[in-house]
Amino acid sequence: MVYIRKDVSTLTTSERRRFVNALLEVKRRGEYDEFVRTHIEYYTADGERGLRVAHMAPSFLPWHRRFLLDLENTLRRVDESVTLPYWDWTRNRTLTAVPWTVDLLGGTGRRSDRQVMSGPFAYRHGRWTIKVGVTDTEYLMRDLGRSRDPLALPTARDLEKALKDPVYDTAPWGSTSAKGFRNKLEGWGRGSGPASWLTHNRVHRWVGGHMVSGASVNDPAFWMHHAFVDLLWSRWQRRHPNARYLPARPLPAGDAQHGRVVARRQKMPPWDVTPEELQDHSRIYRYA
Amino acid sequence: MLSNRPPRCLPVHSEPVPADDRSSAGVHRRRTTDRRRVLRGVFAAALGLVSAPILVASRSAGAEEARFDETYRGRSIVGVRSGGRRFGNGGSGAWHVTVDGRQLHLMRRVDGGWMSMVDHYQSYATPLAAARAAVDELGLVARPGAPGDRSGRREDGRMPSGAREAEREHRHGVHP
Repeated sequence: MVYIRKDVSTLTTSERRRFVNALLEVKRRGEYDEFVRTHIEYYTADGERGLRVAHMAPSFLPWHRRFLLDLENTLRRVDESVTLPYWDWTRNRTLTAVPWTVDLLGGTGRRSDRQVMSGPFAYRHGRWTIKVGVTDTEYLMRDLGRSRDPLALPTARDLEKALKDPVYDTAPWGSTSAKGFRNKLEGWGRGSGPASWLTHNRVHRWVGGHMVSGASVNDPAFWMHHAFVDLLWSRWQRRHPNARYLPARPLPAGDAQHGRVVARRQKMPPWDVTPEELQDHSRIYRYA
Repeated sequence: MLSNRPPRCLPVHSEPVPADDRSSAGVHRRRTTDRRRVLRGVFAAALGLVSAPILVASRSAGAEEARFDETYRGRSIVGVRSGGRRFGNGGSGAWHVTVDGRQLHLMRRVDGGWMSMVDHYQSYATPLAAARAAVDELGLVARPGAPGDRSGRREDGRMPSGAREAEREHRHGVHP
């Protein structure tokens, strides 16, 4: 049965409550922290050795698509009515908009220690203690909008630059790929400073705190953000119906990226699945 | 790869750190710090060494600063480059960086940039810039390490156990 992923701003009160409760239950069972570990483990930068699948790679999109499906299936085992909502950050752009309300993710962190104090994921409620992370804090941290030096979320116009690119990805298949939809959406820009923080990456930075760290999965905002990124991949596919995941075949020996990125029909760790098998989600879920 | 072995040779010099692409506001350098003491602090306890590592003052043309040691926004940030530039071959292992004595793991981008686990969605031109950016993200309270480990300063530069496990997972992230 195909299910629907909705814009988080359209969820009813009941849908919000059930989504939040399913997350808290998955956390209580200890299953959530496995997702945090997996993301830390598979985030390999392109200046390091070895295969990279989650970031700075063509498989950024299918890897996260499968990662989201795993979490969504875990949530649906708790409550089968739940699906992952997406956060359209081109429309819900302020610090008080969804999903930063007390019935969803709660608001920004307090000034002194960036601790999220409102909503169901506030540490003081005792149901969202950070257990896997890269800092010694046990509470969820955010700094929405980057208060010390404010930053705007990407705009629809910024997204258009990515969506109009007809090629999925290009050499060198990493963070320095100047062309191709994948890196324009992932957001590794040229140079340094705010102008180089684009699209997906810029949103992680805008949320701040845990979301900008290697342990970004600790903030449930991760899933809503990546559901929207996933939706954008589908939108790009509809716009370029003949375009496919690249590289189509494994890169030859002698290519600097040989053995370091996953081709269309190669298995994508940690799963036994290929990017090609994840290109079409229409028989599993659809976006409203 | 991040190496736990003692560097046989540590290129060290005491010239001023070059201007960086990050703001120097709030930076106080401890240039007068005894190099040997600092190096012992970073390596000796962790490695159980009795004698200090051999120090060789050298600087290859165009090389980055071989070490830094400063207080930035009230945090002690120390970085030491071990011998040999291994960029392109797991280059981040060439630097050992700590914030308040706790290890800050760095990764490399293919363009030569540096990124830390604390600030993982952009990179910086130098390890020092990445360390300062991590301090900016840590805010006033958080420190690198494992959640819940509020023990004192780690002079040995080791990560608390939970973080070391996460670190291992991170470093061993590629499955055949």
